[in-house]
Amino acid sequence: MSQGVTMPPMRPVDLAVRQEAEPQTGETVFDIQGLQASYGSNVAIKGVDLEIYGNVITAVIGPSGCGKSTFIRCLNRMNDEVPSFGHEGTILYHGVDLYGDGVEPVEVRRRIGMVFQKANPFPKTIYDNVAWAPRVLGLKKDLDERVEKALQSAALWDEVKDRLKRSALSLSGGQQQRLCIARAIAIEPEVLLLDEPASALDPIATQRIEELMQNLKQDYTIVIVTHNMQQAARVADRTAFFSIDSDENGRYGVLVEYDQTPKIFTAPSDKRTEDYVTGRFG
Amino acid sequence: MGVRSPFQAELDQLEASLQEEGALVLRVLRGALNALAQRDVELADDVIAFDDDVDRRYLQIEEGIEHLLALQTPVATDLRLVLAMLHTNLHLERMADYGVTVAKLTKLVADVEPDPLLLQSLQDMGERAEEMIRVALDAFANRDLEAAESLVELDELIDRSNRRFVDRVVEIVGEPGMREWALRMVVVSRTLERIGDHAVDIGEQVAYLLTAEFREFTDASHMG
Repeated sequence: MSQGVTMPPMRPVDLAVRQEAEPQTGETVFDIQGLQASYGSNVAIKGVDLEIYGNVITAVIGPSGCGKSTFIRCLNRMNDEVPSFGHEGTILYHGVDLYGDGVEPVEVRRRIGMVFQKANPFPKTIYDNVAWAPRVLGLKKDLDERVEKALQSAALWDEVKDRLKRSALSLSGGQQQRLCIARAIAIEPEVLLLDEPASALDPIATQRIEELMQNLKQDYTIVIVTHNMQQAARVADRTAFFSIDSDENGRYGVLVEYDQTPKIFTAPSDKRTEDYVTGRFG
Repeated sequence: MGVRSPFQAELDQLEASLQEEGALVLRVLRGALNALAQRDVELADDVIAFDDDVDRRYLQIEEGIEHLLALQTPVATDLRLVLAMLHTNLHLERMADYGVTVAKLTKLVADVEPDPLLLQSLQDMGERAEEMIRVALDAFANRDLEAAESLVELDELIDRSNRRFVDRVVEIVGEPGMREWALRMVVVSRTLERIGDHAVDIGEQVAYLLTAEFREFTDASHMG
């Protein structure tokens, strides 16, 4: 484990130990209260309250500009890199304030991994892409085994096992995205944040990513931002719908409705959700 | 609006077709009741042939719904509307089949002088069935939950008429020359009563469309 970790111990980080433990499905992983996120004077999201539960897939949907990417980037402090970023409210991760004193962003991202819209493998070998984070974190023991396990979990192993030393850039778009997932899970985070992971992929590669998510939720808590409502309907257990509100200071994203996915797509409670999912808005 | 206007147009078109199918069903039933009252074999044949029109309309709606589900993946209210139309389509088609049953039975006993009281009672039941179809179709068109729920009471009336009919038949079934007519008319009475049940089922679909919750208005297996 990396040096300088001041985050309080919460649950075993090691996947093998986690799997031994009692199943934690349904446990509150994130408890978000009154979250407001801004870039300079522009408020991106406001008044967001929601709980994200363990070992389920939570989808975040909503029109462009509703702040869904901003929202999930708050969950692993990815926005810290943006100089003008500021937030109010709290995000409790297993009861610990993610933005509290002494919490190291590096340790946060160790536990809460992220995969982006565009596959972004390092211009290195397939093996080195997956081995990179474990090496940085000093997890050098049984590295080959760790790399294989991550590639298997990402449903990529069979396709790349004979060419681990070839450049990651030689892979197809869908394979590169699964490689990025393997890279994220090589250090066994607890949460995987996926920001439009399949929006640049063809339908078959998309289906593989969706199947992969179903398998990964056994071991990981998954939050996915998607533009594709049918994708949310297919893969997510719970769905959060964000929309855009405005006041005299401008437009900002709000959480409109958050419920079991079948409820959102058969009988949403809020007219704005209904209008969005039926394609009458956005 | 606007974003999926072709989709909305398809939905509207299907719903209009469903209402037209309902109007055809009413024509089938009216024809069957007239044929029964007047012992008109020719009209009974017309009714039987006319059912093909209903079947064609039924298939056209069924295909339209399949097309919508495959290409538009409707959700929320749209999904409930599509599912309610799918069920209602089937109920309407079944009602027309019952009309055909009445017409066929009419042909079988056309040469028997009917019992005037019983015949009148079948006509009354038929009118109640027609009324129920109209209420069901209007409740659907107007998204009227109260009207949909009112079908239960109308159905109770038609059920009661059916029971009274059977009681009266038991009295006259021993009369010479009446046995076959009376037994066949028991089936007609039962058939009209079933049309009422299908109208209630359409009412339940209207309630599902409006409330997102499917419930049977009455539970036949648990009634006293």
